[in-house]
Order: sequence, then C-alpha cells, then structure tokens
Amino acid sequence: MKKAILTIIGFTMLGIVSCTDDLNTEPQVQLTLDELLAQDPGAITGIVSRLYASFALSGPNGPGSSDISDDPGESPFLRGIINLQDFTADGMKNRWGDDGLDQLTTTSDWDGNNKFFRYLYNRAYYTIPQCNNLIQVLNNSEFPNSEVIRGETRFLRSLAYFYVIDAFGKGVLATEDNLGQTQPLPEATREELFNYVESELLAIEPTMPVTSEYGRANKFVVDMLLAKLYINAQVYTGTARYDDALVYVNKIINEGSYTLTPNFIQLFSADNNTTSEIIFPLIADAVTSQSFGNTTYLVNGNLSPDTIPIVEFGATEGWQGHRATEAWYGLYGDLETTTDERADIFWTEGHNYEMTDYRTWTDGYPAVKFRNTAFTGTSTATQFSPTDFPLYRLADVYLMYAELAARGAAGANMSDAVNYVNLVRARANAGNINEAQITLDFILDERARELNLEGHRRTDLIRFGKFTGGSYLWPWKGNAQNGVAIPSFYDLFPIPEQALQANLNLQQNPGY
Amino acid sequence: MKTFLNSLFLLALLFPSILLAQNPLTGVVTDEASSLPVPGVNVLLRGTNTGTTTDFDGRYSINAKSGDVLVFSYIGYKTQEISVTTQSNINVTLAEDAAALDEVVVIGYGTVRKEDATGSVDIVTEKDFNKGPIISTDQLLAGKAAGVRITTNGGSPDSAPNIRIRGGASLNAQNNPLIVIDGVPIGNDNPAGISNPLTLVNPNDIESFSILKDASATAIYGTRASNGVIIITTKKGTSGAPKYNFSTDVSVNSAGEGLDMMTSDEYVRFIQQYHPNFVSNLGVEPGSVVTNEPVAQTVDGRSVYNTDWRDAVFRTAFTSNTNFSARANLLGKLPFRASIGYTNAEGVVKTDDYERVTASFRLTPLLLKDNLKVDLNAKGVFADKNAIDANGALAGAIVFDPTKPVFNSAPDNPFGGYYTNTNNGLIDGQANPLALLEQRERPERVFRFLGNAEFDYTMPFLPELRAVVNLGLDASRSKIEETYSENALATYRIDNENDAFVFNPGVNYRERQHITNTTFDAYTQYAKDFDEGFIKKFDVQVGYSYQNFKNDGNQDRFEYDTETGLRIPTLNADNPTNRYYNVLNLQSYFGRANLDLAGKYLFTFTLRADGSSLFTEENRWGYFPAAGFAWKVKEESFLKNVEVLNSLKVRLGYGETGQQDITGAVGFYPSIPLFIAGDNNSQYLPGSSLYSALPFNPNLTWEKTTTYNAGIDFDFFKNNFISGSFDIYKRETTDLLARVPVPPGQAFSNTFIDNVGATESEGFELNLNIRPVVSENFGFSINSNIAYNRAEVTDLDDIELLSAGGTLRGTGAFLLFNAVGQQPSSAFIFKQVYDTNGNPIPNSFVDLNGDNIINNEDRYFEQIAPNWTFGFGLNFDYNNWDLSANFRGQIGGNVYNLNKLNYGFIESALPTNNTSITNVLNFYDGAANPVFNNVIGNVQFSDYFLEDASFLRCDNIALGHRFNNIIKDGSVRFYGAVTNPFLITDYSGQDPENFGGIDGNFYPRPTIYTLGINFDF
Repeated sequence: MKKAILTIIGFTMLGIVSCTDDLNTEPQVQLTLDELLAQDPGAITGIVSRLYASFALSGPNGPGSSDISDDPGESPFLRGIINLQDFTADGMKNRWGDDGLDQLTTTSDWDGNNKFFRYLYNRAYYTIPQCNNLIQVLNNSEFPNSEVIRGETRFLRSLAYFYVIDAFGKGVLATEDNLGQTQPLPEATREELFNYVESELLAIEPTMPVTSEYGRANKFVVDMLLAKLYINAQVYTGTARYDDALVYVNKIINEGSYTLTPNFIQLFSADNNTTSEIIFPLIADAVTSQSFGNTTYLVNGNLSPDTIPIVEFGATEGWQGHRATEAWYGLYGDLETTTDERADIFWTEGHNYEMTDYRTWTDGYPAVKFRNTAFTGTSTATQFSPTDFPLYRLADVYLMYAELAARGAAGANMSDAVNYVNLVRARANAGNINEAQITLDFILDERARELNLEGHRRTDLIRFGKFTGGSYLWPWKGNAQNGVAIPSFYDLFPIPEQALQANLNLQQNPGY
Repeated sequence: MKTFLNSLFLLALLFPSILLAQNPLTGVVTDEASSLPVPGVNVLLRGTNTGTTTDFDGRYSINAKSGDVLVFSYIGYKTQEISVTTQSNINVTLAEDAAALDEVVVIGYGTVRKEDATGSVDIVTEKDFNKGPIISTDQLLAGKAAGVRITTNGGSPDSAPNIRIRGGASLNAQNNPLIVIDGVPIGNDNPAGISNPLTLVNPNDIESFSILKDASATAIYGTRASNGVIIITTKKGTSGAPKYNFSTDVSVNSAGEGLDMMTSDEYVRFIQQYHPNFVSNLGVEPGSVVTNEPVAQTVDGRSVYNTDWRDAVFRTAFTSNTNFSARANLLGKLPFRASIGYTNAEGVVKTDDYERVTASFRLTPLLLKDNLKVDLNAKGVFADKNAIDANGALAGAIVFDPTKPVFNSAPDNPFGGYYTNTNNGLIDGQANPLALLEQRERPERVFRFLGNAEFDYTMPFLPELRAVVNLGLDASRSKIEETYSENALATYRIDNENDAFVFNPGVNYRERQHITNTTFDAYTQYAKDFDEGFIKKFDVQVGYSYQNFKNDGNQDRFEYDTETGLRIPTLNADNPTNRYYNVLNLQSYFGRANLDLAGKYLFTFTLRADGSSLFTEENRWGYFPAAGFAWKVKEESFLKNVEVLNSLKVRLGYGETGQQDITGAVGFYPSIPLFIAGDNNSQYLPGSSLYSALPFNPNLTWEKTTTYNAGIDFDFFKNNFISGSFDIYKRETTDLLARVPVPPGQAFSNTFIDNVGATESEGFELNLNIRPVVSENFGFSINSNIAYNRAEVTDLDDIELLSAGGTLRGTGAFLLFNAVGQQPSSAFIFKQVYDTNGNPIPNSFVDLNGDNIINNEDRYFEQIAPNWTFGFGLNFDYNNWDLSANFRGQIGGNVYNLNKLNYGFIESALPTNNTSITNVLNFYDGAANPVFNNVIGNVQFSDYFLEDASFLRCDNIALGHRFNNIIKDGSVRFYGAVTNPFLITDYSGQDPENFGGIDGNFYPRPTIYTLGINFDF
C-alpha cells in the first residue's frame, strides 16, 4: 500500500508538471491568422469582405451583433451617415424623439455626449485599425493579388478617414506603422488627415484596376473619393482644389464605363445591382447581409403601416420615423403637376405638407426613395432590405462637374456642364435647362432633388456656405418650426466625450 | 440499484450485533434532555483505536480494564470522558451541545476549529436554514448571514440568484462569490437551460455553509475569491447505527396582486375620454369572435369583453418535494450516506414547469489502520424544465387590451383558438400572451454529475505529516429543443410565392452542450502540537491546485425563407454546427502556516500564486499574500474564571485576492489576436467568407483586492444567552478589470477590458444570537444579522462616466453608470420639478448647476444597491412543538419603476408601428399621473421614476410538531409553512427586491403554503 501511495504522489508530481501547459488554452471556433490562412485559401478576401462590410453591417454574427460596444441597431456606419448628413440638413427629419437624434433633427443642443456622434466616430476608428491590421498582414507575407487587395484596403481606410475629416475635422492618424501602440496617439489636424488621405489615394490610384467585382473598389472609386476630397478642400484645408477635383471627375466620366440608368427609381430598388450607374455600392441582402443600419434603415424608417401599405414597398415593418420636409419636396414645384419623376418618391396621402411638429408622423411626407421591391420582375416582402446603397453614382459625378464648371475649375466648360445636368434631368423627365440657369444655387437645389437621402446633404450645404448661419433656413433648423440661424461652429460635430476621455491628446472642437 | 442498497442496509444492521458478543463492560447512553437512548454514539478507549458504537437502544459493550478512560462522543453532543474503575456497567447521559455543529469550520483545503479560526467566517448549519419548500440551495441561506445579499431574479422555480458578499468588488469582472461544493469549485458557466446552478444540488443533502468573507479566510482560494467564498458541505455517513430519513411536502403557490392596470370598464372610459379616435379599436366586431367568454358591454356597436390578462396567464401552482436518505456504517468501517430526491415545481406563470431528480452517495471510510481517510462523493441531478418566454408573457399580461377576449374559436381564426389582433392578415401589436406560453414547448434537460474523491493519508512513520489529494469532476450534459405547435402565431409568416400565410409547427431551435470541469488539488501538511512551551501548535501546508472549465456545445438554428415563409435550417458555412467552445484553465500553488502561541495568540499566513489562461504568459501569474491574527481573550488569566463570558476572541486580518473572470464581458480568449468567421446573415462580398479580427488586450492581468478586517467573536452568559460576532472591514480593489474606451483607432473595438482604476468599500457586520429561554420543555431563540456596506468607485483614470447598462425606454437609453465618487452601477438622473399641487411637470428638471441650461451636467447619482441589509429569525420550541419565522430586508437602495414610465402616460395606449391599442396604468386611482401625455427626451431619466427600495419581507413562518412514539425507534414531524406571506415596503411597483434596479416585466415571487411530513428512523 505504501508503494501505491508513493505511486500516487509520483503521478501527482508528474501531473502537475504536465498540467501547466493547459494554461495555454486553444480556441476551436475562433482562429489565429495562421490557422485561418491554412484553412481557407480565400482568407484574405474574407478579411477584405469584412472591411467593406464595416460600412454597412453592425457585426459578424447577425444584425444583433456589434463590432463596437454600441447598440448594433443604431451604430452602423451607413445609418450614422444618414443621421448625420441628412437629418441635420434641410430635407429629412426624424420624429422618434430619442435623446440625441432629436438634437440632430433640430440642429440644436449638440454636445460630445450625443451618442449619434460617437457612433460614426467609433465606426470610422473601428474600420481604420482593422484596415491597418490587414495591411500589416499583407506587408509581412506574400499573397496572390496582394497589390490590389492592399490598394482596396488603403482605399477603405481613406474612406473612413474621409468621414473623420468631414464630420469631426480632426482625429488621430492611426496607420499600420503604429498598430499595436498603446500610448495614445497625438491629435492630427484636419489638414494632416487630408494630406494623408490625399497621398494614400494618389499612391494607389495608378495601381487600381479599372474594373472590379461588384461592390469592390477600383480606380474610379478611388477617383471619386479624390474628387470628393478636392471639391471640399476649401472647407477642409482653406485652399480650394477645384482644378484637381475636375481631373478625377473627368477620369470617371471619360474613362469609366458608367451610364445613367434609364429609370431613376431603379437606382433605389432591389435590382439596382444590375444598373451601370453605381460606382460604389454598400451591399445589402435580405438574407445574407442583414443590418438595421444599412438600406433597411432607409426603407423601414420611411414607412409606417399607419399611413402606408408597406407591403407595396416590399417591407414587413414600418418604423414610422423619417419624413422629408418642404425644403426638399418644395424644390419640385407643385407635386401634383410636376413632371419630375424624382418627386414620385414622396408619400403624401394622409400626410401634411408642412411639418408643424417634427414629432408628428403625419407632418411631412415620407420619402420612400428606397424600397425592397425590384424594379423589374417579382419581389417579396422582407424584414431586411435587399437593396444596395449607392454611395457613389454617375449622376453625382455629373453634378460635380457642373458645380466645378460653375466654380471656374480649369478645364471645365459650361456646355459640357449643361449637357451633364440635362442628362440627369432628362432621365427624370424634369425638363432641360440652359447655361444661364447653371448657378451655384441651382446646382445645390439640383443636388437635393437628385441626391437627398444619399448621405451627401450636410457636406453639400457646408460647401455652399448654407449650413450654419441664417442665410438659409429650413424647417426645424435651430429647433424652430420655420428655422433660425445656428452658430458657425456647427459646421463640425463635437468630438465624442468618450474619445476625449480615452485619449487626452484630443481636444474638443471650438464652440462645444 | 435498489437491491444493492438493501443488502448494504442489511449488512449495516447486522454488524453491531456481531460486536455485542464480546465483552463485559456494558451500559446505555441516553440523551440528557429526553432521556431517550442515543444510538450511534462512539465509545473509544482513550489513546487507542479500540472502540465501538451504541446500538438502537443506546447500548454498548466494550472490553476495558480499570484505569482506562472511555470517551463518549456523538455529533451534536458534548463529549464525555469517564474513567473505568471496577464497574461492569456504566450508563452515560450526554448533553446536547448547541455550539457543537459550529465547531469545525471548513475553510478551504482543510478544516479548523471555530475557536481557532483567524478569519471572518460565518457558519450556517441545518438548524438555521430557511424552512418551507426549498428548491434551490441558495434559498436555505437567504437572510441568514450578515453581509450576504441573495437576490433572485424573480419567482420562477429556476430563477437565477445574484449573490453578493459585502457588495461586489468588480465593475465588469465576475462579482458572484466562488462556490465550492464538497471541495469542488463550481464553474461560473451554467449548464445550458439552467439559470440557477444551485438548483443542481438537493437542498436536503446540505449540512452546512461556510461563508468566507475576509481575505485572510479567502486567500487560500486566491483566484476567484475576491468576492468571498461559499463552501457547501453535504451530509456524511454516520459512524453509528443506520438512520433513515423520509420527507415529503406539497405546496400551493399563488402570485398575488399585480400592477394596477385598468379593468375593461375603466379602459373603455379612458379611451373614450382621452383617445376618442380610437373608440373603434375597443373590443371586437360583433360576431367576429367565437368564445365562451361573455360580452361585457357594447360600445359604439362593438363587443367589449372583460379580460384580466393577468388571470389568463397566471395559475395556482403546485409543488412537491420528496426525499429519502439513509446513513449507515458498513462493516463499522465504511460510513456512507445515500439519498434520492424528487421535486416537481410549477411556476405561477402557466407552463413554467420544473422537474428534478437527485441522487447522492457519499462514502467516508478510514483505511490502512485509519491512516488513510477517503471521502468519495457522487451527486447526480437530472433537471427538466419547460423554458417559457416569460418576458413576452408577462409584458402581454400587463398591456394586452382588456376589452379583447382570450379565445376565439371562429373558423376564420387561424391561430389555434387564441384571439389575435390582425391587420391585413398580419399579426398586429402584442401577441396573445397565453398563446405565447401554450403554443411553444421548450424542454431544457440537464444531467449533471458532481463528484470528488479525496484521499487524506497520514504518514504512519510521521503522524504529523499528511498528504491530501482531491480529484473532482463537475460534468453536465444539456439538451434544449424548442418546438411550436400547429397554428402557433409566433411561426406565422407570409408565403410570398402563393400570396398566402403559412404556419411552421415543429422544431425551431436545438442546443446540445457538454460542460466538463475537472479539478485536482494536492497538498501536504505538517502539523505538530506541543504540550509544553510557548508554541502550542504549529502547522504548515503547501499545495497545488488545478481547475479546468470546458464548455463545448452546438446549436441548430433556423430562419424563415423570405420567399415561401417556411422555416429552414440556417446555413453557416464556416461553422456548420454553430459550435461554441470555451475553456478556462486556472492553476495555483499555495502555502499556509498556522501558529498557536500560548493557546491564546493564533497566526495564519497564506501565500498563493495563481495562473489564469485568460492572460498571456507574461502577465499570467498573480501573487496573493494574506495574514490573520486572533487573540483568544477568554484564555487570558484575568478572564479565564469570569463565568458570564463563555468565549471572546478578537481577530485581525489582511489579505490580497485576485480576480480574473472577465469571460462574461470579453469571452475566453481576450489576450490573443484571433479571427472569427461571420454568420450566414453577416456576409458581404458575394462568393467570399467574412472574417473579423477580434479585439484583444495583451496587457490584461490580475485585478487585486486588498481586504482589511477586524472582528470580535463573543459568547456571554449561561446557555449561550448572547453570542455572535462583529466585523468591520475595508476593501480596496485596484487594477480593476473594467470595460473602458480605448484610444480611438488603436484597438479592434472602441472599448475593451483593461486594468484601470479602483474601487473601495467599507462596512461592518453584526451577527447576534440570543437565547433568552432555554428550559427542558420551552426554548426561544433569536438569530439576527445586520450589515452595512458602502462601495465607491475611487478611480477610473480619466473617464468620467462608464455605462453600466440598465436599458430603459428606447435603444441606448441607459440608467446606470460608474463614476468616480459613486457606488458602482448608480442611477444617473435628473431632479424632477413639481408644480404647486405636487404633480410632476413633464420634461422639467432642476437646473442643478445653475447655468440656465438643462443638460447632462444637471444629472446626479442615486445608488441602486442598499447600504443596509438585515435578516432575523425567531425560533420557539415547546415540548414537541416548534415554530419559526424568518425575516429579511434592506434599508435604502433604489429601484426604477419602469412600468410607471412605460404604461403611465396617456399616449402609451396608442399603437406604435401597428394599429392595436394597449392597456395603461390606472390613471383614475393614482397608479399613474395623467400629466404625462408622452415620454420622450429626458423624461425617462427623471428621478420621479426612481423609488426607495427599502423593504422588510417575511421569508417564511413554519410550525411543526414532532411525535416520538408513532413509530418505533424514530420520530415523525408534521409541519406547515408559509413562504413569503407578506412584504412591507413603500415602493409602488411590483417588488422592490430587484437586483438590477429596474422593475419591468418582473416574474412575481409567489406566496407559498406548504404541508410536510418528515420521518426519522
């Protein structure tokens, strides 16, 4: 028996020694990079897919999951862009009354605690290090096609930075070189971020292919972001870069094979992926790519079974949230008589023209621009939208050309500008205009008629000097029904309080 | 199995009679109080291993010579020693020792005599347990120990308990105490389908709880011990004659009153008065519904029913418990205990059914000339419950329009006979709550095995040295299968292809889970007693502990085809079985030394090194020292002869413990870079998988809690007239594992767990037991405890506010925050402004900082958890009658009345995103204030909705009578008990005892009437 005891003790000691290895636990569902690369030859594409998805989805495990510790429904990128670009502007208002969303809708009482500013900020700064990570992986070893993938990744990172520049005016410059650093990064000015994004895009532009699989970036997608950066350069850096903007607008028009889709409505229908107008979409699918913050937010948000037969738009839910204002639908003249097909998107029945109370659903017309139904063929009603979001499309490029011409960009001519604007208008049966009519004010209005609810409006109004101040008033601007002036520091959003606390190098924007 | 047990019993019965034949010295051992013979008493010759036990009639017989000393000992009695002279017959009466059961304290890797303990340890034994229909082990303990707050999530039979000892030390790491059952530390991951892990031990098998509160006591458990330790010890076999116990009880449960919602009549009046446009939504179209329910009235040509939806969903529920146990000593060498139990519990919400079978077996033999103590333990549990959609049903019971009937058997109603609101064929608004319960079945079946084998070997060549090895296994197998019946409205979908609607009966979800937790520990101890000299006792032990927690499971998930509306399996190409796999490994080396100087000064030193798999190799190990000191004041010469003082001890403790369990916040692999594949509905680029880099923090390491404790144990006057303990403590937690924002752009998410900041708590605890009357046939005693605990976040780096959840109305509207200077998880609210009549003015708040703007700067903090908690029990004995009553409560603390917010404004009756109206709180009798037309913006953050949560609850009252002569050699006890008979509180909502601080769809704690019978033989 003594022997047995000694044996037990012996085994015990042996056991202890061999057990310490168990402290290195090995996951079975999650994968290390090496395991992932060994398991799936398309692993790198899978990582890129996730970076693209970061602009539309909330997280990797369905619409209820979130990459960031914010609400998965409220915080996706596209939803943030709509909230911050369209609800703060003249054409769209939301009625939910959520704390924070109300302040966007009424352009009043903005502060760094408003979670809706945080959502976009967090989304951008979630995407950026994810891109840095992939770039580091690509730099460390050889993969097929890695030049193009690295280019796409740098584009996506630039796109995220573009929204930091546009919305918040400054941030930090996180790159693959400082990935993993825990010491808080220094603050980067708007100009520093602008210069970085410009240099990145210029570096990859020549290397990008002219065609790509649907939903992925190519040379013209990069050109479009460059054009967006340059056309707003006056705002971002104080130096106008209209000539540079025109270079890239021309590249898209002349070298890209994009054409206007014959029917305006198809651009916002389930089969818009078959059109040749969209330069860069944010993909949505009712089954395989679900999010409460992709196009679903635009479709369901503008519907309510109270006043709209939602099934006609392929929806099973109406969230009773968003309506346009007269600042948008007033631009088409009399909605009853206008021939402009772009005015067909407003649901007027049971709704009031004037938005006496932005919280009343029936005040203002829902803008059913996006819908789940396909333009051709049959379609089914779904909870999540199958319709892609056209972040960049040719009509925008045409109107940018006209604007650049009107702003006197070198190389632009007014006759082409008239031609391009009329192409856009003719598609909608809106009637032709002539050269004399192409003024900056007209272009701003035309951009509203064509592009509202597509995430551009606040940036446009700022570029045209109409967002802050009192030169242009719209319903509920400054929290007054008929609009009042708002201070000029509202041209930038406040830096989220959470970011300021996490990185003491960051300073709040002036005025907040 | 049964025959096997029977033969064991037979052997056990025969054995004492074999011994009888031998010996001249005989006698009878009787109980001093009752004069009844005591079977099973150990009779030993002092200084030898020779001994025997008394038989059924209390008789013993032993070979002894003059000059020998006989030692008579039996658990629960004072030990007696009698010198043998020339007698051939020695009759002995044993006196009950009230303190005896308390004497040995299980403290982790060993036991200590209570009087020698240096740490703050509370013992709760069987005599103190709560009475009544106890289903889960935690219910025995509620209110019984100072500073231990047990708050269940509600009144469901398997409701999860939230246990806090001295409040919680962590923000995002685990705050539940470590639970150790018979030496096996239980994992924090519950088996799937089990909300309350403590339902998986039969309460009838429990002998005692040891609650280790200060760090000098818990330090030996190092890891996982920051929040205290509860050691649960089950009953052992007897060393005497076989004993059997059979008990059974039946209970009736009822839910009592609910919220003051409007009746049908009141609701009609309300809609007519406030929402005349919606009068046409009242009731139903005459003739459209077929039901036995009478039409109460006709309003605007519509048939209005009078439905109390609460009645429709609740039931009078029955519960029964039956247990049988046997204790015996096989061959005089193999003490064992075996038990089986069966519980059938109904929740007061319909279809909330719970069934459990338990079996336990414990064998505690002494082998190798008593040098090897073996303790074998096996416990098996099978639990089967029907998991209900309690939230959905409880919400429906509150808000469903009372003018609608419950049933509708009209031929055109497709929903299986349940009334359902529809709009254009689609289900509209709230689902019929009864249908939610009755159209779904979700059996969640768990089998769990909990066992250990401990070998404690004393070296024969060096009796001071012993080695202990303990192997433990905690394994469970869970199966969940959710199915819907025909016509279940939850499965009603649009069939786009046929332009119709379709139901999807059948399986909607499955899960299978294997939890396998293994523990292993080994230690050696050297202990030496000295008869002479200043050092009286000295012992030192070193050991190693290994714990591995593995949770491996997979799921069948389904979705609805968007074309056909049919349920189809969800494809998940990258994880086809929807597997999850979580492993946590913990290992430790520990040492402890005890020193007894002069029999008066006791010292304990502990040092422990802990490693956790959650941290990287560089940050893995934490080192946790502790020291305890006790002064047995009573042993000093100046007190030794003071008769009024039975004992007095002063304790001082200091120690550090570690915390690493952040798995609830960031999973099991938080320190290393990993990727995860996207689900099927989170794909993006066509033709490609989707892989996300998961956030991680390679710098994570141990959170450390330092506790300082000073205590005093006292026992005054004859018969322990007043005894108890008083402790005062301070606890500091640093390197807090908290979810904090990370510098933007520098991690794969915006927040992650980091070692940041500190919390501090301090408080005191008093346990007081009073026995004013102790006489032969009448006894009265009071046990009581009260605790004060104040916790505060003292440092959060530069973070002002850290969300702590607590969702109110609408997405991202959180009530609770952590902030420096505040109690963790405090409500962050505005001060409501009231008009001259005392009515709140909606959306009007006090400008606390006086800057004429109402914004977040004007919010202030109110605590949720109380500072004061208390409990007390009264026990009366009169002859064979016993009566006990137990009470529990808290002073302070707040609870947010979410229902008052959600259903207490005029427009809450109106449809949102649908066309159906819903019930509201009764505006006509003050249950809600009609000044609130709607609640948007900051209304929900008004302190108007936050109410004082102080309460006194009567936990149970039990009356029993014992018959000693109904059956031979045994006793029968009949008892009746009422659990939760009353609650005293000012809170206007459902129940102020609410762990999360937000009272919403609360599952009511029922009042329970129980009758039971208990046989001991």
